[in-house]
Amino acid sequence: MLDFEEELKRFGPSLEIGKVEDAIGKEDLTDMTDLMVELLNEKRN
Amino acid sequence: MNAEMRSRQISNAYYNMGLEKAKERDLTGAADALKKSLRFNKYQTNARNLLGLVYHEIGEVGAALAQWIISLNFQQEDNLAEEYLKVLQDAPGYLDMADQAAKKYNQSLQYACSDNEDLAVLLLMRMVEEMPNFVKAQQLLALLYLHHEDYTKAGRCLFQALKVDRYNPLSQRYMAVAKQNTGRAEVEKRKLKNAFSHRQMQDDDIILPPSYKENTGLQSVLNILAGLVLGVVAMFFLVTPTIRDSITSRYTEEVRRGLELVNQKSLEIDSLNRQLEEASSAQQEAEDSLAAMVNNSGGVLSQYQHLVQILDAYRTQDMETAVKLYVETDLSVLNDGVLDNTVSWVQQDMAQNGYQVLEQLGDGAVTRGSTAEAVDYFQKSLQIKADNIGVIYKIGLAYKAAGDTETANEYFGNIIMNHPNSEFAAQAKEQRGY
Repeated sequence: MLDFEEELKRFGPSLEIGKVEDAIGKEDLTDMTDLMVELLNEKRN
Repeated sequence: MNAEMRSRQISNAYYNMGLEKAKERDLTGAADALKKSLRFNKYQTNARNLLGLVYHEIGEVGAALAQWIISLNFQQEDNLAEEYLKVLQDAPGYLDMADQAAKKYNQSLQYACSDNEDLAVLLLMRMVEEMPNFVKAQQLLALLYLHHEDYTKAGRCLFQALKVDRYNPLSQRYMAVAKQNTGRAEVEKRKLKNAFSHRQMQDDDIILPPSYKENTGLQSVLNILAGLVLGVVAMFFLVTPTIRDSITSRYTEEVRRGLELVNQKSLEIDSLNRQLEEASSAQQEAEDSLAAMVNNSGGVLSQYQHLVQILDAYRTQDMETAVKLYVETDLSVLNDGVLDNTVSWVQQDMAQNGYQVLEQLGDGAVTRGSTAEAVDYFQKSLQIKADNIGVIYKIGLAYKAAGDTETANEYFGNIIMNHPNSEFAAQAKEQRGY
């Protein structure tokens, strides 16, 4: 059977239209290339 | 191959995987693959645009907008994201509706987490009617139904969710629970119907009917509503017709009594009208009779009055007045038998003496030169005694003296023709000019 409380934890909020701009600003757009560049920079340093 | 190119290859591979899953309606799997694609290459525009599409399809419009805006920032030209954004912006009221859906879902989640599950259910029910492809909302609502053991409704929500995202693991798991419990509940119900207890009951034992189960708040509300509806229906079909029939019956009886009264009064009015007509007719007859009696030109009453005056004139020996009244009186109408003797005596006396009095009055008028008055008296004298030749001659003389020779000759001719042997015939001829 289901544990109601535990199942509830699986649900996160939905993004409201008015908060899209904030969400974009907080979006982590780091991709693999950025990570490798960062790693290379750290290695150089 | 450098790392950058390798990353892009991996990104493209994940994009292709995501595209395949999206085509199969495995939107959860597609979203995972596309996110991985973007982890390897954030500039993979197609992956980001497709991810936005997937978010939009499962009802996450805000998340879809975010991806498309980011995509447009990374690639301003020749980018499908621009077209997607324009379509959403141009659809009237769509963004407001999507925003409201997200807010309601978030509010429902708070209710569910704070033990206000009934409110959460009510809010979600209305929201999924407007946006049935909102997968997360359908899943949350299904969870709430499952928690309330309403497995049928949970199944309906999950069916909608799986139509959108076919292989969503959460939806599939909940659906399995719903199916499992739906079948078991029916079997248990059948078992309970036939169950009986072997234990001897005590005095304080309470028998719970098989269908009894503890009502939740929502069920209580629904039961109350159902009771109200049934009460209104019962009132409408059972009580209202009886009341209406009673009112109709009383009204009908009152109308009948009223009509009887009207009919009775109508008959009375007709009778009274007939009586009125008869009375009017009798009145008219009486008035006519009275008018006949009081008519000055020959009414009976008038003649009685004249007779009384004649007798009074006799009493005072005023023959002149008695004679003048006599010639204006029609004593023939006084025939009721009461005054016959009196009338007869007057008539006899007038025949003997009355005409002479009038002749004398005529002579007096001739002397005064009043020819018309003299002729009048002579004519009245002739009324009493018509064959008085002397009076006829005097009338002729009076007309001749007045210049009316033609009329005078008529009277003279009357004497000559009708009374040739009288003492006045020769004088008449002389006057005539023979």
